Amino acid sequence: MSDSSLPRVQSPPQAGDGPAASDTIEGSITHEDIDRARDRLAVARAREPGASPGYVRWLRLSWLLIGPGVLVFLGENDAPSMLSYAATGAQFGIGFFVPFVLLTFLMGFVVQEMTVRLGAVTHRGHAELIFDRFGRFWGRFAMGDLVVGNFLTLVTEFIGVRAGLGFFGVPPLIAVGGAMVLVFGVLLTHRYWTWERIALGLAIFNGLFVPAALLAHPRWGMIGHAFLTWAPMPAGGLFKPDTFLIIMADIGATVTPWMLFFQQSAVADKGLQARDIRSGRIDTLLGTLLAATFGIATIVATAPLFAKGINASDYQAAQFAQALQPLIGRVGATLFALGIFEAGLVAAMTISTSSAYAFGEVFGTPHSLNRPLRESWGFYAVLLGSAFAAGAVVLVPHAPLEYIVLIVNVIAVLAMPPALLFLVLLVNDPAVMGEHTNGPWANGAVLIATVLLILAGLGFGLTTVFPKLLGGGG
Amino acid sequence: MEARLGTLGSAFERGEPQASAGPTETRDLEHRPETVLSVLEADQLFAAKRQARFGRAQLSGGARVLLWGLRAYVIAMFFMVAMQVVHTVHGGH
Repeated sequence: MSDSSLPRVQSPPQAGDGPAASDTIEGSITHEDIDRARDRLAVARAREPGASPGYVRWLRLSWLLIGPGVLVFLGENDAPSMLSYAATGAQFGIGFFVPFVLLTFLMGFVVQEMTVRLGAVTHRGHAELIFDRFGRFWGRFAMGDLVVGNFLTLVTEFIGVRAGLGFFGVPPLIAVGGAMVLVFGVLLTHRYWTWERIALGLAIFNGLFVPAALLAHPRWGMIGHAFLTWAPMPAGGLFKPDTFLIIMADIGATVTPWMLFFQQSAVADKGLQARDIRSGRIDTLLGTLLAATFGIATIVATAPLFAKGINASDYQAAQFAQALQPLIGRVGATLFALGIFEAGLVAAMTISTSSAYAFGEVFGTPHSLNRPLRESWGFYAVLLGSAFAAGAVVLVPHAPLEYIVLIVNVIAVLAMPPALLFLVLLVNDPAVMGEHTNGPWANGAVLIATVLLILAGLGFGLTTVFPKLLGGGG
Repeated sequence: MEARLGTLGSAFERGEPQASAGPTETRDLEHRPETVLSVLEADQLFAAKRQARFGRAQLSGGARVLLWGLRAYVIAMFFMVAMQVVHTVHGGH
């Protein structure tokens, strides 16, 4: 190939390259490759036309191929995100923010679908591709954003774990320590498939916010009206500083850099191939719809606080559950607290894994959940080290946890535009994506998302520096 | 050799003849590397990924401007966040 824009890729030995090449590659087959091959054989078996009816094969194939998409979106419905939705419902009730949250999730779907294609076509993680294609200089910036954002977010996940279990009187050390043991224990399976299924099994408890919402006896007509008219609008307009902060937090609750890194790496670790892209899209759409439903349910669950005129602007996790108890009952408050605990726990698993994938990809060390601990100690050290450090911060007396919760989603929104630029450059690169590059609709959608994120960031900057400029009182 | 690595599906899933494995034989893959090689695409193997890297992209001028612009944006915005945190902490005392 003479086109200088194409990457210089040294082709690996293939099975048909002759005895020498084949021996070399056979001799270097790893535990990771074997487990991935096992998963691919299961997929091949599910695709075989056989005795089973077509819909049974489709269901079987979907069961095998869903995972990264559902997990990334339910993982992003994490403790600070659910607290943002809770604050949204408590401060503004049912109105503008109900369709707005759905819109942010649709924006999230557009972005995450691109990571499915990148992972399935290249079999590489996001960090690896950024370093390969844009070099260390830009790669370090991307990693810097990821590391800072991931660590602060991890801290907030353990705040959620602590607060959720705190509702039941569990001491912080037991709550955080127990969550750490669980994060570690799941890794002992050293199998991506098992890790993913356990994480999915836990993530589905994000749905606890739905019965909590039902116990709030929502007025369905009002919810339908909000979806159709985006009304009522927040009092004082969208540019009031506290309203704007909620807008930022709700956007940051659906699109964040760690999601790009996690889903692409998980798609590669799961072993998806280009022919699985359709299933990957279904997986991502399912995750989008589930997470949007659970997020909106949280707004609905806390809307009675708004209706009763209770000021919840300074509430933390456990306080929401306690405040809701007289309105939605002990069962509803319990579901809410358990939901916050689950949100923190699942996100702690996925976000720490996202950091570990990225480090392994950048340093070229083994980075797969299919590897035993002894073969991939660096990967697991980053994963557990980041989780343990974040958990430890939560246990430090008088640590400024409330500030971290406040700013973590804001930081996610601010760090997103450059992450989206890397994503768009990669996914439009024919040398990387071949026939799977973005179409004009996807590029248009991601351009709109990027512009909105930049405008939101600039609005945040203006309300910070000039608090009275946009109509707020500072 | 310059090439994009395989995106056509594994040899197994393309229906090409395989040495000995059927789709139901998943338990002793440790002893059947040929099956592992046939079921994975060439660049899905860990060793292959280490050997084959994507080269540097030729960034256009516009892309460089965007990268620098957004980097400046992030730094400025993070500064704003720091300002707000300091302001909040200071206000709390």
